[in-house]
Amino acid sequence: MGGPTSPPYPPRSERPGGPGRSSIFREPPREARGGSVSAIVSLFAPRSYMDRQRRAGLFFVLPALLYFSAVFLVPLVESVSGSFYRTVPGGTTQFVGWRLYEKVLTDPSFWQAVGNTVSLLLMSVPATVVLALTVALGLHRLRSLRWRSTWTAMYFLPFSVSLVAAALIWQWLYDPLYGLLNHLLRGVGLPPLKWLQSLDMVRPSLAIVNVWLRLGFDTIIFLAALQAIPGEYYEAASIDGASRWQALRRVTLPLLNPQIVMVTILELIFNFKVFDTVYATTQGGPAGASQTVIMLLYDTAFKYFRLGEASVMAVFVFVSLLLVTLVQWRVFRRQVEY
Amino acid sequence: MAGIPPAGRVLKPGRFHWLVGALVAAGAICVFFPFFWMAVTSLKTVPEIQRVPLQIAPDDWTNLANFREVFHRQPFGRFLLNSALVASVSALSSVVVSSLAGYGFAKFRFPGHGIFFFAIVGILMVPFQSVVVPLYLWVSRLDLLDTYLGILAPDLVSVFGVFLMRQSIEVVPTDYIDAARIDGAGEFGIFWRVILPSVKPALATLVIVKFMWTWNELFWPLVVINSPTMKVVTLGLVSFTNMYFIEYNLVTAAAVLSILPILIVFLVCQKWVVRGVVMSGLKG
Repeated sequence: MGGPTSPPYPPRSERPGGPGRSSIFREPPREARGGSVSAIVSLFAPRSYMDRQRRAGLFFVLPALLYFSAVFLVPLVESVSGSFYRTVPGGTTQFVGWRLYEKVLTDPSFWQAVGNTVSLLLMSVPATVVLALTVALGLHRLRSLRWRSTWTAMYFLPFSVSLVAAALIWQWLYDPLYGLLNHLLRGVGLPPLKWLQSLDMVRPSLAIVNVWLRLGFDTIIFLAALQAIPGEYYEAASIDGASRWQALRRVTLPLLNPQIVMVTILELIFNFKVFDTVYATTQGGPAGASQTVIMLLYDTAFKYFRLGEASVMAVFVFVSLLLVTLVQWRVFRRQVEY
Repeated sequence: MAGIPPAGRVLKPGRFHWLVGALVAAGAICVFFPFFWMAVTSLKTVPEIQRVPLQIAPDDWTNLANFREVFHRQPFGRFLLNSALVASVSALSSVVVSSLAGYGFAKFRFPGHGIFFFAIVGILMVPFQSVVVPLYLWVSRLDLLDTYLGILAPDLVSVFGVFLMRQSIEVVPTDYIDAARIDGAGEFGIFWRVILPSVKPALATLVIVKFMWTWNELFWPLVVINSPTMKVVTLGLVSFTNMYFIEYNLVTAAAVLSILPILIVFLVCQKWVVRGVVMSGLKG
């Protein structure tokens, strides 16, 4: 970075802290790096230009570090430790070891919630990703830029509204008596459905809402990736006599692989944490058929005030999503290598 | 061939080109339709809603009785105001703290640099629901239940913001910073007069995206808010529903009121929102 005339790293003693070119100092000399005690001491008693630079950097990031520690790290540790304590009716807490884990993990209603969450997820995640990919490919084909951006905005619109508002709009569409969907079903001579009120239909109905909500987000990510593929690849493919279908199979999809993996993981995480849509519509009903893990966590903590058990669920959610992320890293590493 | 033709333009349009366009348009209209349905329902009276056969258009396009009723039943104006206040403060504080931290991480090296940044990005993996119980206990111990500060507590800064600002500040040429330093500018002066003006687009993206996120949030306000006057608009919406009977003309009117401000922000600033989405997608 520094010009050929500037010496790489002059000894500290030669630089009494005046103004200088910091770019050549972006990578500090080896002896000043590492977690040595002197480096930390120098933060409090800056002697040189480099010391002052380091201190300034730390001051810039300090507010964020303190805030995230207070709001995420400390509570996360407390969540883990809280899962080993039972709240006694008197208000004090009592150490119970793994007892609460045993209690939660052997509770059929907990596993029902996990099962519901997974089944919701299996319905909505593949549908969202496949639909978004299809829509993105279609949008990418459009020649008119104006129409393309209009349709893109319409697909993206649900992403901008609150999950609560979205859920309530859909609850109205699903209304068994006056809802639009049952009007349509009756119109074509089919029997009306009890969308959110029947044990079989409630999860697919909620899955549709989630697909509707997330479609635009995934589409935009795919569209951005598609636009980044250089046209020469297709040129080369067409010179080699590839059909459109072959170009899609052999050029487009392999190049989109990282985005497909990433979007799938993001959707898994989103759908695993689904709460707002369920809370605003079915509240877990009918008969617990749409009870999700986060709904159960909310009820356990803030309806029944069993904070210990809620902490067990919090740890469960954290560990599950951590596993998903670790799998993501492994898959990603494999994908990037081809 | 002159220049690089954009992808998707090289192959000749297929035989079914028009069909692709039609399907994409039909899908977009289907996705949009629920919004349209919400809007027309909010203008209908109860007998109109229950009319058979179904009628799409309301009898009177200027019937605002449902909106008046929403404000009459609940302090909905107050809810909107609460949401606007909370979302604005969270957007501003997020921009301030994130751009400071982004500058620190992008242009300085200090002990713990790598570990701290890794830890902050690692927080993306911590679902909010995993920390909500201890957070609730802290807020209640500090006597912040039912206060603006209580709602704001976990929303003041987002990890996404720090990440976005670091990425944007990293590409600001270090020579600018050096030049300012040679001219005798202090570290904060450099941040204020050199860094911030050159990352204005990222600042706009962060403000808008963070405003939308906070405005649309339900889970945390549900936990900390009890009194009707402190409710934010998502809580206000839920309060129009119950298990047995729902007046959809009022629910849709309330939904229109809650969506309208965010929709205006979205339509005006669509470019920035999309940028933010692509960035947040890239973050993985």
